[in-house]
Amino acid sequence: MNHVDIRELCVEYTKPKSEEMFTAVDRVSLAIPKGEFVTIVGPSGCGKSTLLLAVAGLIPVARGAALVDGRPVTGPGRDRAMVFQEPSLMPWRSVLGNVRFGLEMQRWSDGDLDTRALQFIDMVGLRDFADYHPHQLSGGMRQRVNIARALAVDPEVLLMDEPFGALDAQTREIMGNELLYIWERDRKTALFVTHDIEEAILLGDQVVVMGVNPGHIKEVLKIDLPRPRRPEIVDSEQFIHYRRTLRNHLADDLASMQLVRRDG
Amino acid sequence: MGLEATPASTRRAPRRRPGAPRSLVIASTAVLLFLLLWQAAPPLGLVNGNYTSQPTLIFLAAVEVFRGDQLGHHTWISFSEFFLGFALAFAVSIPLGLLLGVSRTARYLLDPPLMALYIAPSLILLPIMIIWLGIGIASKIAVVFLGVIFPIIVNTMAGMHEADANLVRAARSFGAGPVDIFLRILIPGALPSILLGIRLGVGRGVLGVVVGELYVSQAGLGYQMTTYGSSMRIDRLLVYVLIISFFGYALTSFVRWLEGRVRNWKPA
Repeated sequence: MNHVDIRELCVEYTKPKSEEMFTAVDRVSLAIPKGEFVTIVGPSGCGKSTLLLAVAGLIPVARGAALVDGRPVTGPGRDRAMVFQEPSLMPWRSVLGNVRFGLEMQRWSDGDLDTRALQFIDMVGLRDFADYHPHQLSGGMRQRVNIARALAVDPEVLLMDEPFGALDAQTREIMGNELLYIWERDRKTALFVTHDIEEAILLGDQVVVMGVNPGHIKEVLKIDLPRPRRPEIVDSEQFIHYRRTLRNHLADDLASMQLVRRDG
Repeated sequence: MGLEATPASTRRAPRRRPGAPRSLVIASTAVLLFLLLWQAAPPLGLVNGNYTSQPTLIFLAAVEVFRGDQLGHHTWISFSEFFLGFALAFAVSIPLGLLLGVSRTARYLLDPPLMALYIAPSLILLPIMIIWLGIGIASKIAVVFLGVIFPIIVNTMAGMHEADANLVRAARSFGAGPVDIFLRILIPGALPSILLGIRLGVGRGVLGVVVGELYVSQAGLGYQMTTYGSSMRIDRLLVYVLIISFFGYALTSFVRWLEGRVRNWKPA
């Protein structure tokens, strides 16, 4: 059985002003075995974040279903944790307080929450910053806290919505390699949305390419690179091949988007 | 792992020269010059001393006022009016503001009248309060209540309303229910705004007490001011002005201090 099984999933929004229905995700099916890292790429508006929110149980599904461990998702649950792109840390709580938050919400009772939270703060390399508040941290450090908060609740599935999207290129690369390193420890099933092709290849066992109008899956590319992956892998011939393939897929979409813009 | 970690707060503070800061020197010089001018103006015939009094006379009047003049009694009356009115307003406005912050229906229902009352000076209701509640302390409590309640309601509501949607969503993703979100996200997020409302309320409350007593009363600091005003005791009148300013300043500073403590997580 697949760990995460997305079946003919449709998500619809009502447009705020026109009352018109708008399909954000159209009949998406995706099977993810346990322990696999799946990355999702696509142009903006392709519904990649929406798909993730649906799996997280944060938005309603119009048709179809997302199943985790065979059970359809109906709302947020302890089996999943999400890392958001936006700084979603509580500014009035310290790093420690923020990492504790998920544990508090999930009513963790076993052992000392501080000890557990600190263990994960340590894992993301912020041991000396546990008492700092978010505004005292850099963007990269804040995202580390977000990751620590998600990992601390020990989810079975890790959902990441462009977690490094707001970071500069260099920090982004460092964070990608760190995430890889952390993930190697227990290889949790992961869904990772990004618009960075290299990031998608470096992290993923499969790269899902999504297209627009309405959001659908265009292509699923298996990434056959050995693990654990080292940063140097981006220079390998295979990596470059994958990158070219993905770039071509995405270029089609970009070209069609530009046509749409020119016509309308 | 190579981490580039320089938190903003560890950056070096700008170097400060020893001695009193320049701003303090300039400010105290200005005050001193003003006092000297005030002291010198009546004997030089620049102004009529009966209308302006002099710093030294005011100092002497202050000594008299603090010795006898039932200062304690009048202060107690004014303080009670302020405190009771404020406490009542606080008890009503915080829950109401929180409710309005989370309930859209309640907001649609009450927002227009609330805004009208927030913008209108509550003092315009003073004559009605006097008719309804008499010239004793009850009418002043009512005026303070009306002055304090609206800034707190409106700002509490705004604070709740402006809650960060990203934080709410992140909390929900960890399984937070409505109660958790209310207590752990909305209220802490609204706290700076609530304190701002309280600070504005304090200002209006002090104004309510003083103007209420000036308008018509039997005791209180404002009552003493009316008494000395009608008998042309400018020196004593000004002593009371100073006492009231001091209270207002002290109260506002206290709330500011609280605000600072709450805001310490947030760059101003």
